[in-house]
Amino acid sequence: MQEKFEQREREMEARFDKKTAAQDAEIAALKKQLAGTATNPPVPPAPSVTATASTNTVTPDQFKDLSDKVDQVAEAQKKTLMSEFNPSIGLVGETIFSGNSKGSDQTGSDRPGGFDVWQRSIELNVAASVDPFAKGYAVINASADSATGDTTLSVEEAAIQTTSLPWNLELKAGLFFGEFGRLAYIHDHELPFVNRPLVLDQYIGGESKTAGAQVSWLLPTAHYVNLTAGFGDQFGDIPNNPGTYRSLSEVNYFGRLSTYFDLTPNWQLETGISGLINPNSGEGLGGVLVQPNGVSTLTEKARRLAGFDVKLSYVPLQNNQFQSFTWGTEVLYSDNRYLSDPNGIPSSGDEFYENVGSAGLYSYITYKWSRQWSAGFLFDWVQSDQNNSEVTAAYSPYITLALSHWNQLRLQYTHTEPNAATGYQPSDAVYLQWTWIIGSHSHGWQQR
Amino acid sequence: MKSKLFRFLSLAAIAAITLGARPANAAKIHVVTTLTDLADFARNIGGDHVEVRSLATGIEDTHGVPMKPSFVPLLNRADLIVLVGFDCEHSFLPGLLEASRNPGIQKGKPGYVDCSEGITPLEVPKSTDHSEGDVHPGGNPHYLLDPVLAKTAIQNIYNALVAIAPQYQADFEHNRDAYLARLDAKIAAWETEAVPLKGAKIVSYHNHWAYFVKRFGMEYFGTIELKPGIDPTPRHIEELITEMKAEHVSIVVREPQFPEKVPALIAQQTGATLVKLPIMPGGVPHTDTYIEMMDYIVHTMVAAIK
Repeated sequence: MQEKFEQREREMEARFDKKTAAQDAEIAALKKQLAGTATNPPVPPAPSVTATASTNTVTPDQFKDLSDKVDQVAEAQKKTLMSEFNPSIGLVGETIFSGNSKGSDQTGSDRPGGFDVWQRSIELNVAASVDPFAKGYAVINASADSATGDTTLSVEEAAIQTTSLPWNLELKAGLFFGEFGRLAYIHDHELPFVNRPLVLDQYIGGESKTAGAQVSWLLPTAHYVNLTAGFGDQFGDIPNNPGTYRSLSEVNYFGRLSTYFDLTPNWQLETGISGLINPNSGEGLGGVLVQPNGVSTLTEKARRLAGFDVKLSYVPLQNNQFQSFTWGTEVLYSDNRYLSDPNGIPSSGDEFYENVGSAGLYSYITYKWSRQWSAGFLFDWVQSDQNNSEVTAAYSPYITLALSHWNQLRLQYTHTEPNAATGYQPSDAVYLQWTWIIGSHSHGWQQR
Repeated sequence: MKSKLFRFLSLAAIAAITLGARPANAAKIHVVTTLTDLADFARNIGGDHVEVRSLATGIEDTHGVPMKPSFVPLLNRADLIVLVGFDCEHSFLPGLLEASRNPGIQKGKPGYVDCSEGITPLEVPKSTDHSEGDVHPGGNPHYLLDPVLAKTAIQNIYNALVAIAPQYQADFEHNRDAYLARLDAKIAAWETEAVPLKGAKIVSYHNHWAYFVKRFGMEYFGTIELKPGIDPTPRHIEELITEMKAEHVSIVVREPQFPEKVPALIAQQTGATLVKLPIMPGGVPHTDTYIEMMDYIVHTMVAAIK
């Protein structure tokens, strides 16, 4: 069998070489013929000449048509530009204009109240194949500081991802957004609304950034089921501080199991469950946290998070570019372990460990009624993961105008309602988000 | 402990290989095509040796086929992915191939069948700048609406099937020749029927018809879209109506995946005939095969100018 395949391969290679040589010869002959007819233009056949006698002459129209075709083919064969080795490069810009009725000391926001302009993303995306076995990509983001306006450059993602592992496996390693839930690993400017849901901000710490590795397994079944598991030295914007030595129990472990259903040709349901555990947070996420009373402190000692996500979509096959509907919801439960120090004096004897169980969710609907226009509503509700008596809810209607695939405006109003325990005030804010893309763009799997 | 772990990993590996592998006696070649015309060609050439599935059903915009996770297991098991090429499928195929975990059908591999090979494209853009809209760097990808160029796609599919299953070459060759004979007869009939279309000017919603109008001697006057993928502005509609009236454009084509309102308005204001034409088999009722689709298109175009 092996010999037979090798022989077949040799025969095919020989046939291919022969065909290429024949085509090259044909092109050379055609060029020679064109050169000849250019100095001796063809004479149109005399009216009395029969059809068979005129088969060797070329009319001016036929000559032009032939010449055009040869030029196109020759031109197409010339392309071996050095720039073809460049990776695909794209840049995303995102500016948010906002007005907030309360100052940041009253809302807990890291942006000032009143009028604000925030260049949240200047995001450079670079991607290319590394070799036949893997591709690499990087996302480098610059964001403006709220106080100084200075732009801080950071690498959001830089990872290698395999493309040809057996057994339906895929491995990603480096700095990346770990797969957890639906929106945790989506970049800010790609969210269906302006701001990241409160529960993702508080329980994950923004995007699910991690430095580690993640393996994904597409189950070998006719029904789509995907299992992802990974580990990393952090999970979220704030890194763990391991001190001088990081044991395996101080690593973050995360995973997600997801599946999908075609309810009808036009209705789709995607759902998943996710988990995150950091058995030992070391010096704690963000270190020793001084509480609002200014005295007591809280240090995270273990982190546990579970989530359930569901997305129901109406994507009519015939005109999904002009009409669609999405309902997405995520519910998260946090069960972190803290070292509580009521008098704020370390090792004074009053410290104690406590588990804080907290829940939060977001739920949104978006309806699109034309290629350009869509509108929706986002509901947020979250208990603080440090003190579950502190509860915040938010209500955000939004409307989006997609001027084109690469140019989008979004207007959003948000009413935030923290309870008294949080120590913050209810506030109203209006946001105008302008997002644009230049350069290469690709519709990757996460953008579905 | 170690031996238990080793035993578990071995069992998991065996299960994965067994569940994932095709049985040695599997008779059918699993072919997945992006669009329905390619599926029709693959079925006609492959006959009983192929099992063909199309990601599109026929009614979608070729640039708007959704990236459904249910396509992933299909592609995971595919022996061949057959596509139009020239970036026609850029909005959904790269993401699906990434998720498929099937190394054999990735770009550049034998299972990746780009039917545009051998086609000289029309309208290769001088610039891929986004100011020109959602342009295709490789040229206009809608060459399958020219039945003569469709024969190149058929040959590419034939070549791929022979490469993957040389033991069935005789059957593939017989099927291909029989189908091409039918298609050639229909092409001759369409060219005769379409004689009245020579010189007729058309406007369509999207630039789908460049190859069709060239084949049948028509003139492509313009598109309702401002640029590819960009909806028309009121000013563009106004200018288009003025120009169409001056140049006596006789046909306005609306592809089924675009809204009717603006094409109907333009047709009404210019006196042109509004026609709804599919861009792939299944786009309108009774066009389930490529030949039925082309029959419908030619008949409808000719009727529109009478």
